[in-house]
Amino acid sequence: MIYRETGQFKAHYQDDQALFPIDQDRYVIFGVLFVTFALVPYLLNEYWLNAILLPFLIYSLAALGLNILTGYCGQLSLGTGGFMAVGAFSVYKLMVAFPELGFIPLVLLSGLITAAVGTLFGLPSLRIKGFYLAVATLAAQFFLIWLFNKVGWFFNYSASGMINAPPMTIFGVIVTGPEANGVAKYYLVAGIVAVFALAAKNIARGRIGRNWMAIRDMDIAAELIGVRPLVAKLSAFAVSSFYVGMAGALYFAVWLGSAEPTEAFDINQSFLVLFMIIIGGLGSVLGSFLGAAFLVIMPILLKNIMVDGFGTDSALAAHIEIIVVGVLIIGFLIVEPHGLARLWRIAKEKMRLWPFPY
Amino acid sequence: MNRQNAAETILSVENISLSFGIMKVLDDISFDIKRGEIRSIIGPNGAGKSSMLNVINGFYHPQEGSITFKGETRKQMAPHVAASHGIARTFQNIALFKGMSTLDNIMTGRNLKMKTNLFWQALHLGPARLEELENREAAEQIIDFLDIQAIRKKPVGKLPYGLQKRVELGRALAAEPDLLLLDEPMAGMNSEEKEDMSRFIIDVNSQFGTTIALIEHDMGVVMDLSDRVLVLDYGKQLADGLPDEVRRNQDVIDAYLGVPHEHA
Repeated sequence: MIYRETGQFKAHYQDDQALFPIDQDRYVIFGVLFVTFALVPYLLNEYWLNAILLPFLIYSLAALGLNILTGYCGQLSLGTGGFMAVGAFSVYKLMVAFPELGFIPLVLLSGLITAAVGTLFGLPSLRIKGFYLAVATLAAQFFLIWLFNKVGWFFNYSASGMINAPPMTIFGVIVTGPEANGVAKYYLVAGIVAVFALAAKNIARGRIGRNWMAIRDMDIAAELIGVRPLVAKLSAFAVSSFYVGMAGALYFAVWLGSAEPTEAFDINQSFLVLFMIIIGGLGSVLGSFLGAAFLVIMPILLKNIMVDGFGTDSALAAHIEIIVVGVLIIGFLIVEPHGLARLWRIAKEKMRLWPFPY
Repeated sequence: MNRQNAAETILSVENISLSFGIMKVLDDISFDIKRGEIRSIIGPNGAGKSSMLNVINGFYHPQEGSITFKGETRKQMAPHVAASHGIARTFQNIALFKGMSTLDNIMTGRNLKMKTNLFWQALHLGPARLEELENREAAEQIIDFLDIQAIRKKPVGKLPYGLQKRVELGRALAAEPDLLLLDEPMAGMNSEEKEDMSRFIIDVNSQFGTTIALIEHDMGVVMDLSDRVLVLDYGKQLADGLPDEVRRNQDVIDAYLGVPHEHA
């Protein structure tokens, strides 16, 4: 089928405002959803689900969150790791204290707690911008990790300082803790990510998303047409932290099972998620997924190819992997500084006109 | 352009003085704008014209004086409050949202007309969807009015200068303002583009009844469009009156032709 919008006439504004106004896009999305929910769990083994798709989906959620803040609203943040830790420790405390609430409400609640914390640390954005704001959010990163290390209440005074996810069930199926199986965890995470990716797309194309982008592109003009910087920036911090907090909760409770703040949520996490959205594409929901895929799946694939395919020593393979991923990042950014999502957009433009050049 | 002087005053500026440090930018300026008129503010570079607009829409806070807009007197006001009271503006250097499409820019101009909360917007159902459609219709009317249908979905950063100016006018119009401040809407345009823009300004004024305050350097345009003209020079009020009176005013002629100031 050729990617072409010829003959797709829109008679009403709601047709033109649809999420995917072009039929082919719609088919692709339904196809992706079908593969995600109906085929993947049965075609792929536990290793693929647990070690590759789970982190990919969870990082996609975190990248979506950061993209809302940095990509849509233009506020640079290096506090992602810290906010993920807030989500993780919130869900841990809630799982221990209120297990009867059920896991999904607890994840949402920990997202809300993170939103509150994120809004608080977003306050400096009202006065400072750009790199200076990044430094201010760095303070959030270090302060939060220090807090979760120092204050015993957060990890229930466990001797190791680690937190362990107690097993919880949804409809009788265990989804957290060591006994949970890959398919159940995959469905849970994929479901949450799909719902909130849709929500992000909807927010981004509505009034709130436009106000964020207005603040990003020209804050003075935005203010003069009635966008309140306070509301726009803090709402971006809140929504972004909500996503990042949920990602942190899932990262800890569903994927890792146990976590220790300095290792699991250090500054490298913040950078990793930031690189995901830069490589994937700022201000793009699709870009968040592409960036996460690039930085999560690519290293694993490379390692597997080298170790299993060429019989490379695994320590050597780990080092080569770092080099290759680094080179690929630079390569991609030279080819398209605006990220993989832009490449996809350009490809679509080309396909619309194919086989003619213009 | 033949409004009687009896029209109601929409904005009156009284004894406004604004200084940055020891720089006196505006010195005891008083004037008024009547509902439905096109009011021009002219003057040489650095006269304080843009500062005057910035004071009116709350971006600068004058040290002295007060502003009465639609019967409400104030000394200070945040820009978004001014916007919500019905003051919109365009900028001397285009200040569009470059990463967004023409349509999104104009829709952002309508943000004060939209009220639904985050929850409904995330679902994009019910009130949020309805609101989006209603405002889309209003935005499309402006797109039709300005004849920019073809660039609806284009990112504005890539549009030619003249079109960007037009989109910016559209964004300001989207707010359905009572008072529209235009800061050099024709700067850098060729005569054809100027004619188009003049036509749009007249149409906005007569079709929507919008009151317009205009800063412009092209005297032909100013004299043709304006109902009344205010002349500023070095932050001082030099003249105020009908275009013909201003044109004949000796002080104005001196300011434009560069007669040295006694105290400068």
